[in-house]
Amino acid sequence: MILKLVKQPQFVIGFLFILSLLFLSFYWPSLFNVNKAESLKLMEFMYDENGAITGSIPFSPSEVPPFGTDVTGRQLFYQILDGAKYTLIITFGVAFFRIFLSVVITLINPKANYSFLNDLVSATLTIPTTILAYIFMTSLMMKNTIEPMGLTKLIIIQGLILVGIGIPPLISTFSGEIKSILNLDYIKNTFALGAKKPYVYYRHVLPELSTRLILLFAQQMIQVLILLAHLGVLSIFIGGAQTLMLGDIFNLTPKDIPLAGEWSGIIGMSFTKLQTAPWAILIPLSCFAVTIFALNLIIQGVQHGVEETRKL
Amino acid sequence: MYFSIHSYFKRLRATILGVLILSILPPLVFGINTQLEPEVWLYTIIGLPEPYPIFPEIYEKFLYSMTIFFSALLLGLLSAMILTFTTSLLPRFIQRMITHLLTILESLPDLFIVVVLQVFVVYLYKQTGVVIYFYNDYENPIYLLPILVLSFVPAIQLFKITFLLMREEQHKSYVTVARALGLGRFYIMMRHVFRNVLSSLCQYSKTIVVFMLSNLFIVEYVYNLNGLMYLLMNTKGGAAFLVTAMFIAIPFSVLFELADNFKMASNNDNKESAA
Repeated sequence: MILKLVKQPQFVIGFLFILSLLFLSFYWPSLFNVNKAESLKLMEFMYDENGAITGSIPFSPSEVPPFGTDVTGRQLFYQILDGAKYTLIITFGVAFFRIFLSVVITLINPKANYSFLNDLVSATLTIPTTILAYIFMTSLMMKNTIEPMGLTKLIIIQGLILVGIGIPPLISTFSGEIKSILNLDYIKNTFALGAKKPYVYYRHVLPELSTRLILLFAQQMIQVLILLAHLGVLSIFIGGAQTLMLGDIFNLTPKDIPLAGEWSGIIGMSFTKLQTAPWAILIPLSCFAVTIFALNLIIQGVQHGVEETRKL
Repeated sequence: MYFSIHSYFKRLRATILGVLILSILPPLVFGINTQLEPEVWLYTIIGLPEPYPIFPEIYEKFLYSMTIFFSALLLGLLSAMILTFTTSLLPRFIQRMITHLLTILESLPDLFIVVVLQVFVVYLYKQTGVVIYFYNDYENPIYLLPILVLSFVPAIQLFKITFLLMREEQHKSYVTVARALGLGRFYIMMRHVFRNVLSSLCQYSKTIVVFMLSNLFIVEYVYNLNGLMYLLMNTKGGAAFLVTAMFIAIPFSVLFELADNFKMASNNDNKESAA
């Protein structure tokens, strides 16, 4: 299976892109030979050699190459590089736990009907997942302001919300698939020969599901990425936000700055300033688009691989 | 007949139960009530001081959202059809290029398209002085830009699906027979292939509608439209959420019921013809 995937160029390109993005994101300070704290600091004005002010925030990509700065004056390029690891790890984790938990829940009792879950699924079809996530997240945020919890606890609960939203539809797809796999002749025979359930699930059902699992995993990652971007626009940040007072003493404006530097936070922070600094939103959004494209390439590669094995 | 009242009511009951669970789940899980208003019909918009009742404005909002939704769906369907039709008459290598282009276009998040169009409209105004309204005020709701944006994603998806179905369909034997009879490529496409593709397209309608609903929300939020999805977001759970969600769920469950029944019927047809 893995050998076949390696032969698919699309899969390899998509996979290598995501891996290299992760690698860059972890080691960029040493690779570009810059100080991490220095390059992520807030910058309000730009000075020339004599110390005279030449410009103020936000700087466009032509003023501060390559990507310009956001509305608080942090360099977008380094921010995006640094945020890539958080974004990728969050999406990876959420997608993984969605799939893992729903497979486990389905395998506990594969013959169950889950009519309760089907109710939930048919209701959530018409309500966008973003609104669902928003409703849960605002409740969480409100609780967080009343009785503050630690950063790790907050992130874990937010992750649980993101995982929980995706589980009901997945369970209803998996329960159908697993039921049809368990109805296959050779699986029935294995049971008749006296094999234990865990053995059959591990030995036969999971390999049967494996390509489907990879596909669903990539699709879930895409969905989580889109969901994160939407939540960023609704100014719900993973890891919460810190309110900074910006501007001069006569004109103080509170500004929520996301604590973890993932991409949706960058979008959400500058979203109200869309007309003054369109690049500060379009560039992170295109990063989302490129990552989704890489995932789509992976999906295509897997599908091609499956088709080729079918032809053989 | 593809519709039965009995199974529709069954689905409706399931939906109502599901929405009910969803509306009470956040306070149950977190032990906190976001609905701080004393009356259940009221909702607040962040940044505005006073709460608003959901009735009777909800009817207006419902009409507005549905107008945008269905015009966008129609526009998307129409443009997808035209696109498939023209591309299927083009030479092979251009077709292959288009499939690659579609993968790229498909990867663009809906948010990206919304934001790009908004920036583009402002740029257009600055360059040429042509005004396209992209922000809503309460008296004059806007239609053009939201419909355009909303139709973009379904147009791409539908185009991809019909294009792939069309290519599959072209290798079937009835097309070969028609070719051998000396019928023109255009005629076969129009009379035979296109009809079959359209009927199998109905199977995908559910996915596209679900995707568009989530899209509608982001369009309403970014363009500040006074629609149903924006209201749903602001109710934040509770009774107001329940009622608003019902306004979306009841009409769309009719659509889903139809789609599912149609799917089942066509599957049965296939089985019979295979047997």
